[in-house]
Amino acid sequence: MSRFLFPRWTNAILPFILVTGAILPLYAAFVVAYGFSPKTIDAGYQPTQPVPYSHALHVGQLGMDCRYCHNTVERAGFAAVPATQTCMNCHTQIQRESPKLEKIRSSYESGMPVEWVKVHKLPDYSYFNHSAHVNRGVGCVECHGRIDQMEVVYRYSPLAMGWCLDCHRAPTDRLRPVSQITNMAWDQRVELTREERESLVKLFHINPSENCSTCHR
Amino acid sequence: MPRIIIYALLILTLLAILPPVIAANARSKPNPNRPINIIQDMDLQAKFLPQSENDLFADKRSQRPQIVGTVARGENYLDTHFVDGVVDGQWATTTPKQLPMNMELLLRGQDRFNIYCTPCHGYSGGGNGTINQRAMELVANAEGPVNGTVWVAAKSLHDATVTIQPIGQIYNSVTHGVRNMAGYGSQVPPADRWAIVAYVRALQRSQNATLEEVPADKRGGL
Repeated sequence: MSRFLFPRWTNAILPFILVTGAILPLYAAFVVAYGFSPKTIDAGYQPTQPVPYSHALHVGQLGMDCRYCHNTVERAGFAAVPATQTCMNCHTQIQRESPKLEKIRSSYESGMPVEWVKVHKLPDYSYFNHSAHVNRGVGCVECHGRIDQMEVVYRYSPLAMGWCLDCHRAPTDRLRPVSQITNMAWDQRVELTREERESLVKLFHINPSENCSTCHR
Repeated sequence: MPRIIIYALLILTLLAILPPVIAANARSKPNPNRPINIIQDMDLQAKFLPQSENDLFADKRSQRPQIVGTVARGENYLDTHFVDGVVDGQWATTTPKQLPMNMELLLRGQDRFNIYCTPCHGYSGGGNGTINQRAMELVANAEGPVNGTVWVAAKSLHDATVTIQPIGQIYNSVTHGVRNMAGYGSQVPPADRWAIVAYVRALQRSQNATLEEVPADKRGGL
């Protein structure tokens, strides 16, 4: 029985095997870190909503304040999606026969809620409180991006824990006066000096916790 | 070296480029195919969060609306001055005792007015807010009003029919609406509605003020 012998050409590929063996773990680490990062698999979520509501029109063009519709944001942990009544404040008159508003009208008549799709869904074991943030200088735009320019809202931020901690560990540049909280075009990094931003940290008594139980209860 | 091995290596190298390209493409633009929940942990728990679904009820609301005829804890329906703007069957002429007219109330009112009222009434209360302008545009469209838009111009708050109203009546209009205006009772809590009407009073005074009412050191700026 003849023994198997590696053919002579295999000597030539030995360096390639060594190089590949060294690169492969790096490649695998890169693919996992980049491909499975929350920036890839979570951010950018843009579901199709039952009613093609445009924030670009209502907020960007008509200049409505975020709190006109999301009126619980300063008082509650949850920034509520508005009731159909809020839409109908204007749309009983404006665009009242628009086919795009069909589902709003039927909801108004039947009392059944419009089934809006939640864009910013946190895991059920994390407890984020909107009022704690907006009343102490964290503007809407910090997490939600330029909603006033979005025709269809998408998830601007990954909403991952590391992303939360980025800000909890370095809050200074993310703070603005409460009067500018819903102003999406306003940027404290441009409008305020470093000293002014640091004074906001003192004003709002910002001492962000990194304790697990702050968000996980 | 056999050809087949060279080709296999080339194809493997090309395939190795694919995963990063797919990831980079997914990052580059918003799309509906996310979030991809690879490790579920306890992301989705059997509990009701605000505005979530509960199939036990016909309307699927997990948050139940208040039952007609019931009073929620902390709801003060006996204080008609505060809740309805009515004192002894007449419209109130002052703010309720828990909200004395002061600078703090006016500034809160300005803040709330600019959120909830300016879309139609405008920042000065003159009635030319952005929604009013937009509605006028839609009505004035060359091929007829767009999608059946009808619009009665938003009321100027400096109109004599409004300025003569007692503060309680304006509060009632904010709460329950008036003519084409919807009520804001469900959107704005009572204390904020009082702040708004207090600010409306201040706006009305500002628009009909005389030079003597301006503090002496500010007159130069006019």
